[in-house]
Amino acid sequence: MIGFILRRLLASIPTLLAVLTLVFIIVRVVPGDPALVILGDQATPEAAAALRARLGLDVPILTQYVRFLGAALTGDIGTSMVSGRPVFEEVGAVLPHTIDLTIASMILGIVVGVPVGIWAALHRNGPIDVAARLLSLIGLSFPVFVSGIFLLIGFALHLRWFPVIGQADLSDMGDRIHKLILPAITLGLVMAAYITRVTRSAMLASLSEDYIRTARAKGVPWRRVVWVHGLRNASLPVVTVVGLYVGILIGNSVLTEIVFNRPGLGKVIVGALNQRDYTMLQGLMVIYCFLIVVVNLITDLLYGVLDPRVKAA
Amino acid sequence: MKTKLLAALAAMVLGAAPLAAQAQQGPTLRVGMAAQDVGRLDPHFAVSTIDRVAVAWMFNGLVRFRPGSINPAEIEPDLAESWESSPDGKVWTFRLRRGVQFHGGFGEMTADDVVFSLQKAANAGSSAFSADYRAFQSVEAVDPYTVSITLRENVPSLLGLVTNYSGGYIVSRRAVEQRGADFARQPIGTGPFALERVTPNTSAEMVANPQYYRGAPQIGRISYRFIPSDASRDLAFQNRELDLNYGRADQTWVNRARQVPGSTVDVFEPGELTILSLDVSRPPFNDIRVRRAFAHAINRQEMVRWRGPDVSREGLSVVPRGYLGFTADNGLLPFDQARARALLAEAGHPNGLTVRVVHTQLPEMLNGMQVIQQQLRRVGFTLDLQVVEHATFHQQIRQNLSPLVYYAAARFPVADIFLSQFFHSRSIPGTPTAVTNFSHCNVADSQIDAARVSTNREEQLRLWAEAQRLLVENVCAVPVMETLLVFARRNNLDYGYELKGSMSLGPLITEQTRLN
Repeated sequence: MIGFILRRLLASIPTLLAVLTLVFIIVRVVPGDPALVILGDQATPEAAAALRARLGLDVPILTQYVRFLGAALTGDIGTSMVSGRPVFEEVGAVLPHTIDLTIASMILGIVVGVPVGIWAALHRNGPIDVAARLLSLIGLSFPVFVSGIFLLIGFALHLRWFPVIGQADLSDMGDRIHKLILPAITLGLVMAAYITRVTRSAMLASLSEDYIRTARAKGVPWRRVVWVHGLRNASLPVVTVVGLYVGILIGNSVLTEIVFNRPGLGKVIVGALNQRDYTMLQGLMVIYCFLIVVVNLITDLLYGVLDPRVKAA
Repeated sequence: MKTKLLAALAAMVLGAAPLAAQAQQGPTLRVGMAAQDVGRLDPHFAVSTIDRVAVAWMFNGLVRFRPGSINPAEIEPDLAESWESSPDGKVWTFRLRRGVQFHGGFGEMTADDVVFSLQKAANAGSSAFSADYRAFQSVEAVDPYTVSITLRENVPSLLGLVTNYSGGYIVSRRAVEQRGADFARQPIGTGPFALERVTPNTSAEMVANPQYYRGAPQIGRISYRFIPSDASRDLAFQNRELDLNYGRADQTWVNRARQVPGSTVDVFEPGELTILSLDVSRPPFNDIRVRRAFAHAINRQEMVRWRGPDVSREGLSVVPRGYLGFTADNGLLPFDQARARALLAEAGHPNGLTVRVVHTQLPEMLNGMQVIQQQLRRVGFTLDLQVVEHATFHQQIRQNLSPLVYYAAARFPVADIFLSQFFHSRSIPGTPTAVTNFSHCNVADSQIDAARVSTNREEQLRLWAEAQRLLVENVCAVPVMETLLVFARRNNLDYGYELKGSMSLGPLITEQTRLN
């Protein structure tokens, strides 16, 4: 197992390097000058040139790249060009919020999506199935910034159960959970919609397999056929989707973060992009890629748990 | 050993207690701002609204605008008790207030800090506002409480350069030297509030400065929250989670905010003037008939109706109204679609004309440009808008990639700044001293230069008026409208002054401000 994990981590290094190189080049190719963003519209070319020199942007791009890689290898991913704060400090301040939201949304998505998907598959084309499909379609179609605002109006403004400003105090677990509920519902329901659809189709495929028919012919109770034989095999595509979606969720929860005024990685990425904060973007990509590698690794390990043939391979 | 430890602990507790206790005496003011984060809180790099508003609470200048006013005639003493100038206006002497303390135990503010601050503000490597200080020849400490500024040439408002605005803020020399680049996130000033911490993407927390020389603030803390979503910020204000809310300069927003029980909407100066700069150096706007046709096509009244009469007003000149030197007597071409069509035909474009324009995707600017686009379409101009991301827009307009530039700005309220930055040939993008002269006009250079160094106020006003007439007559730019600043506050927030204007672009929170 440890060997497998190490091999996977080593294999991720080229991916990480490729992504970093691409990000490094793309942010510099895209028009927009960080010096103008920092100095504002009254700055003279002289001031902008002085700032570019201080930020190390006046040297050839290859030199910048070598400097960046050299520093990254020593664990230094730089300081934000705009705020001057270390990237680790900026990301460290928001990462717990992102992880909270990702995990809570994922749990909600699985807890709602898997049973509803199974239920819909077991009642194929019946009213329950139609309702589940319709609801999942609505879940997928409803933008999170609309559902989020509706939740805020209902539960924060009228019922006053939750605050509108969802910036939680990380040292207070109660506050952290309290302020997580509405954003997690907003994102979790979208995830539940995805999982419902995937689970339903995977279960339908699984339940039509020969071994299911054999199990039923042998007199295995239906409940056991569904939950043990059917679901276990249907789990692989569900795990794949969850793994992929969690990766997307880490970076793409920006709208939820904005609507609920939560700090988060997505918001920082968008801000850094708008402000042409090269160092921040590079640092964020290092961390983002690492998180994706970890999520993929966990997904692969789960494959092995669910299907011993994967482990053997 | 144990005794020493206890003694040290007691000293720490006793030393820290008074500050903490005093800081927590007053209530917390919760402010919601439309931003994702603060940028740099070094006041000489504070260029965005989110930074400008905050540094105004933490720093002072030698002089200040009377709180609630942006009238240069109402500038009053701040860190300087008094000042005088030589008869030719080139040497200014400021006598400093004694006993003013910097935050965080950085000691008393002296002439050394003032000299350091003004030199820092004038240096392109350590300030975004260095261009404003070109006329400074030297800044010297005469004694620990006297500072002398010598100018190379006269400036229209020396006090404007040492006021609580842009490069005029005084920083602690020791703090800047000790903290280096970290000063931008751990700034040290002398203002009524001191920065406690910044939580990235969340908030900046400030505490009252009990040693503030005008007296301890009545508000104990300020929680300065970054809430980029307008809808969420408004909901938070409605839900009483905010006491002060950054508003949108939009009539619909103002009307809605006025419906929130127990709240007041403040609309205040400076008005941000939107101008349409026409590049006179190349087609199609190198033809004065095309420029005049363009000017006749702009319906300012319609723009004000669109933006809202409570938050905007017609632009009457290429300088915002209320600025020293503004004149509406400049021959501004009226809205006249028939005349616009005739001029276009006369210029050889009877079937109209297409202009490719680079523009930002920033909603408030994009929406405005789309209204302009429709107005122009009615007379035959087709604007082919190339909508790009905001940072790209700023870069591309400085590369002269757009013959028409929609730009909104507010500056220090003296005509010279606006005229110099937007209409002097020194400010044309691509030149070593470029700022924002997107029109490439140079027709009023001599008037602008002469007015700047004139010591005769009447002559100065005449020259500024003449410059405006020339710029309008040559249609270097078309003024559109002025948009005011808007904040909503709960009625229990009393600024302690009447808010008519604020150069920091947000309400000043002073020692007099109360949360009842």
